Amino acid sequence: MSEEYDFEVIVVGAGPAGCAAALVLARTGVEVAMLERGQYPGAKNVSGAALYGPVLNNLIPNYWEDKGSFERHLTTKKTTMLSEARSMTIDVDLRDFNQTPYNSITVQRPKFDRWLAEKAEEAGAMILPDTIVEDFVWKDKQIVGVKLGDEELRAKLVIIAEGANRILTEKAKLAKHPHARHYGVAMKETYELPKKLIEERFHVTGTEGISNEIIGHYRGVPGGGFFYTNENTLSFGLILNVKSLIKKKLKATEVLEDFKNHSYIRKLLKDAKMIEYSAHMIPEGGFKHLTKLYGNGVIVVGDAAGMVLNAGLYIEGINFALESGRIAGEAAKKVLESNDYTKKSTKIYKEKLKESFVYQDLKTFKRAAKFLETERIFAHYPELINGLFYRLLKNNGRPREKITRAAIKHILKRAKLLGTVKDVVGGLTSL
Amino acid sequence: MSDARKVMTIEEKLDLTKITTDQNYEHITINPEICKAKCTTHDCVYGCPADCYKFTEGEDAEGPVLYDYVACLECGVCRVVCPHGSVDWHNPKGRFGVEFKHS
Repeated sequence: MSEEYDFEVIVVGAGPAGCAAALVLARTGVEVAMLERGQYPGAKNVSGAALYGPVLNNLIPNYWEDKGSFERHLTTKKTTMLSEARSMTIDVDLRDFNQTPYNSITVQRPKFDRWLAEKAEEAGAMILPDTIVEDFVWKDKQIVGVKLGDEELRAKLVIIAEGANRILTEKAKLAKHPHARHYGVAMKETYELPKKLIEERFHVTGTEGISNEIIGHYRGVPGGGFFYTNENTLSFGLILNVKSLIKKKLKATEVLEDFKNHSYIRKLLKDAKMIEYSAHMIPEGGFKHLTKLYGNGVIVVGDAAGMVLNAGLYIEGINFALESGRIAGEAAKKVLESNDYTKKSTKIYKEKLKESFVYQDLKTFKRAAKFLETERIFAHYPELINGLFYRLLKNNGRPREKITRAAIKHILKRAKLLGTVKDVVGGLTSL
Repeated sequence: MSDARKVMTIEEKLDLTKITTDQNYEHITINPEICKAKCTTHDCVYGCPADCYKFTEGEDAEGPVLYDYVACLECGVCRVVCPHGSVDWHNPKGRFGVEFKHS
């Protein structure tokens, strides 16, 4: 392609995936523009949000020296099973995570994405906020630019980093209209809580922080709740499978209010003042429902491609976005060098991605998505395990049962045994 | 402090979020003809995290569901849940729509 172009590469979307790609390209001297639909990078973006220090460090060495790059680093991971009036929490304290580059860090996306975009800008990328890409410019079945209303911008290669609502990916013919079953709706509330109260409530000091994933069923809808500590705010939210809500005919917003009424949640939100409400869609289809990753003149990264892993203990989105973006940047450089922008050339992105943890983790846990779709995991087990502890701990003036016998009796009585065995086998092999 | 929790309504919650409404452009539109002819399940009402979709009241209402784009958080769920393709989803124009500060 020897025709005129405005930029060598256009990146659509300035989230973690887009910023990583633009940063890598700009560092090698490529003319790259990042088009962001929001008022600034991060203005439209929502996450839990925790990400892995080593992944960020790989992109921006010694990121932690930059004040404002993160909120807290995680030293405690709590996993809670919630049922009606009960809860059980596994509390893992790992102070060895106290060392840089930190195992996990929490961020607030409007701040973090802007910081990351500034890094790309410093490296030479051009950032255009308030810019809505409506469609592509095609030539001989190859994408050669983007349409912004009446205007067009031409590029040798387009990287789609539009996020979970993958309208452009479909227009690029890399995906079909999505199915509700493969999506979750995440509702998030950010709370102001003085630093001193955060430290007391979550037993942390300095920049230490905690994450708390909460598994349960809320009015029969399976879901995952979360708490993350930031510097002086708390991120709290709930992710519900869209199809389950529809089936139960319950409104997402009502289920969230119900969830907040549980004593476990109320305790943690006490005296905290809500300062923002946000929502986001989460691709939950896993490996099987990734979009096509490349085409003629185009590459897709991050959430847009469906690169999110929900395997119970791990919920990954930003890490995959950062890493797939970084790899896309490297691949795009090779594509530019080859001077061939057809899919024969852009497939190098997929080849590179296959060697990364992004592709391999998605593949390793490819059955987890299906396994977690089983409502029993959320609906049955939290109740089962909480019920068992109730039985073991309740004092009723009678001699105690042997623990193993009580456990077996409880499980036999309460669990649908066949289903349980199936889940255990399914769970062990998929996770 | 008492343990009684003050439940915030969705309207009160959405008041905390900065949204700049474009009075001249509805970024999401629904097709009342399709809704009326095909929809029996109203999936959009259950999936929307901002309660933008509401059941209509009254017989001469346009369709089974009323939609108001003003409080939209731009998540995309309605586009995914509607099995009839009645939801036409576009991004708001530049400078408009939601602007998160702490999410």
